[in-house]
Amino acid sequence: MTLRLGRHEFADDATLMMAIVNRTPDSFYDKGATWAEDKAFDRVAQVVAEGAEIVDIGGIKAAPGVEIGIEEEIGRVAGFVARVRAAHPGLVISVDTWRAEVGRVVCSEGADVLNDAWGGADPALVDAAAEFGAGLICTHTGGVTPRTRPYRIEYDDVVAAAIADTTAYAERAVAAGVRREGIVIDPAHDFGKNTFHSLEVTRRLGEMTATGWPVLVSLSNKDFVGESLDLPVGERLTGTLAATAVCALAGARIYRVHEVTETRQVVDMVNTIEGRRLPRRAIRGLQ
Amino acid sequence: MTPQRVAMIPGVFALRAEYAGIEDPIAELRAAVHEAVSWLLQGTASDQDIAVYCTDQQRALAHELLAPWGCAISTGGDATVVLVIANGTACRTEKAPGFYDSRAEGFDAMLAEALSQPDPVALRDIDLGLGREMLADVEGVRALGADILTTRHRSSVLYDDDPYGVQYWVITWEEAADGH
Repeated sequence: MTLRLGRHEFADDATLMMAIVNRTPDSFYDKGATWAEDKAFDRVAQVVAEGAEIVDIGGIKAAPGVEIGIEEEIGRVAGFVARVRAAHPGLVISVDTWRAEVGRVVCSEGADVLNDAWGGADPALVDAAAEFGAGLICTHTGGVTPRTRPYRIEYDDVVAAAIADTTAYAERAVAAGVRREGIVIDPAHDFGKNTFHSLEVTRRLGEMTATGWPVLVSLSNKDFVGESLDLPVGERLTGTLAATAVCALAGARIYRVHEVTETRQVVDMVNTIEGRRLPRRAIRGLQ
Repeated sequence: MTPQRVAMIPGVFALRAEYAGIEDPIAELRAAVHEAVSWLLQGTASDQDIAVYCTDQQRALAHELLAPWGCAISTGGDATVVLVIANGTACRTEKAPGFYDSRAEGFDAMLAEALSQPDPVALRDIDLGLGREMLADVEGVRALGADILTTRHRSSVLYDDDPYGVQYWVITWEEAADGH
């Protein structure tokens, strides 16, 4: 399906890199590296140069902590969205928020996509996306409260649950007026899931891509990688790329990442192996 | 009839075989749990009922631990052997599942004291709502106070720690033979 994210269109077979740019002092991986706005702006320029089609700007870390109210979240992201919009007109700007009020403000500043990492916690977010013609990422979290950790969660079938919840959210978005071509589903690794759940979602991602909805995966440096290999944050790139390859094989369309270059190479290599992409330039033995 | 032998273990999912990893992140706890269950069931006839007090979510763990012993599991009544699955708060550190709650340590300390004495009245009167706010699994603790333990029981604490920000205890109680 052609993807329409805001004013930007992508062909049926395009895979996209969504680079994470946090506007937080305390996110788990970058630990405030882009908290200063100029640093964040430099990071956007860097990932654009690396080929990222999308930047995902977030104002609140996913882990529990100090409450960040709506006004503060808007303060962290809205002005920055406007600045990035002006500097990079061809770039898809996604904002990682579950709040409709934040969604409205950032869309008015030029955001193209609302990335709801918390599975529809604010049911009005679909209305914000519809009002501004924005795209929407629909995640599965098992209904947990935003910024909580999974604790003794069980599913009869985590993949069936992820598909049911994300596709229901997607259809709710369509009913609210969000363009069907702008909706993406995301199983949300580790959100409302333990390591075994995230591994199973990865293993069976093909069932999610088979729904026909474009699938986004956010694997980068996640705890399911860390627990599988017993490696701390900062040493999980190889494991992340292995999971990326499995998801690429299954047909994921969008990859939410810290490392754009490495992920792009892995996804392109997998898709070339699968025959979905031509080699860039082949002449060896063909002269 | 008062149960002669009672054991309490925490309902940690990682105790279940389906969540096994290459390394065991709860090896000491697991050893204490198996010691408690072994003590609980030693000398128990295969047709003797074992009463299990736990939430529906914890039944899988109970069955997994008791299955090798071939005992019949009942939901209460006059069983002389009782297993309770319960644990304290999950809010003891910033990395805990429930993040940090300043009330957690005091709540767990009160519970630890009541469990070890034992104090059936304090256990029966535990504030379930407060416990649930801090993700404590304490339904079984109330049953210990209301239906199971008496002041004639003597406790033995096999495990008391919070390795992942969740308070775990493994405790056994045996009714004193002379009634004191």
